[in-house]
Amino acid sequence: MPHITLVKKVFKNGDLCKKCGEVSERLEREGLLDLINQIAIADESDAESEGMRLAREHNVDRAPFFIVEEDDGAVRIFDIYFKFKKYISNRAEVERQDLTDLIDQNPDLDFI
Amino acid sequence: MTDVLNYPQVAKELDTQTPQEILEWALKRFDNISISFSGAEDVVLIDMATRIDPSVKVFSLDTGRLHPETYQYIERVRDHYAIEIDVLNPNAEAVRELVRQKGLFSFYKDGHKECCAVRKVGPLRDKLATLDAWITGQRRDQSEGTRDSLPVIQKDAAFSTDTNVLSKFNPLASWSSEDIWSYIRENDVPYNPLHRRGFTSIGCEPCTRAILPNQHEREGRWWWENPDEKECGLHSDNLNGPNALKVVAK
Repeated sequence: MPHITLVKKVFKNGDLCKKCGEVSERLEREGLLDLINQIAIADESDAESEGMRLAREHNVDRAPFFIVEEDDGAVRIFDIYFKFKKYISNRAEVERQDLTDLIDQNPDLDFI
Repeated sequence: MTDVLNYPQVAKELDTQTPQEILEWALKRFDNISISFSGAEDVVLIDMATRIDPSVKVFSLDTGRLHPETYQYIERVRDHYAIEIDVLNPNAEAVRELVRQKGLFSFYKDGHKECCAVRKVGPLRDKLATLDAWITGQRRDQSEGTRDSLPVIQKDAAFSTDTNVLSKFNPLASWSSEDIWSYIRENDVPYNPLHRRGFTSIGCEPCTRAILPNQHEREGRWWWENPDEKECGLHSDNLNGPNALKVVAK
């Protein structure tokens, strides 16, 4: 399973950015919140906050954004929610086909 | 585990031993080993193993579609043997995507494998990646023709990786269904109440049904599928056995 980090922005006055709040709500509503392994805050008043550091590291200039780290080390960045969701959906389909192939190749699995 | 096993040789040596002796060998050989418990008559493995090691590890695959009786039974087994049972769940997003795309009963149309892949094999693969060995209740008499040579121990071809050689024990391989039920009766082993209602092979609720006397136990599984497609008739491991192409008379 990939490790997924959601980076959210907090303004200098302490408010969470509106878009970040909307994406969080959407994640929860669509049952995807459980997929998020880590939430990092990009605090505008602290350039060294984890989220700000991740934004610099991945050259991202807007929030929220998702960092998807695959088991093989590949890293994908999504700063558009729907692209993140589509990637996750496609990934689930590919994974499902791989596991179905595994059953085809190992019929003993029907007896577990 | 300290050295590499010669699986065919060990299988040959263990094949004449009792399930209890095979279990004892397995539990002595491997620390990081667990029993796979389906909530059916493979409970005999737990009964036998807890007599050898009361803290034996057990896991069970909760597909989310089991019979209520099976959930209650898993709890009963947990209490009866005072063991921990690691109940594994499928990946929520994988299930969600399957259901979103194909609905809750896609297996009646597309076959059972895709659903089994998501609800059973995925979590099984993840669990086995953490183990050195596992123990199943698989038996040679569960299927006609292709399973005659099911060994009591084998290298798990499906889940071994370059970095983790997984051993799979099938201590009940040589036992018949009758042997299992004799053991259950003689040892007063708790069993799934569905068995009293004609369920011989117990899996997920939508995919399991009671059978009539003299029907093969697997006829209660995925009955809407072509029997030739329910199992692979060319299972490479078993085709090499001495009785590979023999039709078993029952």
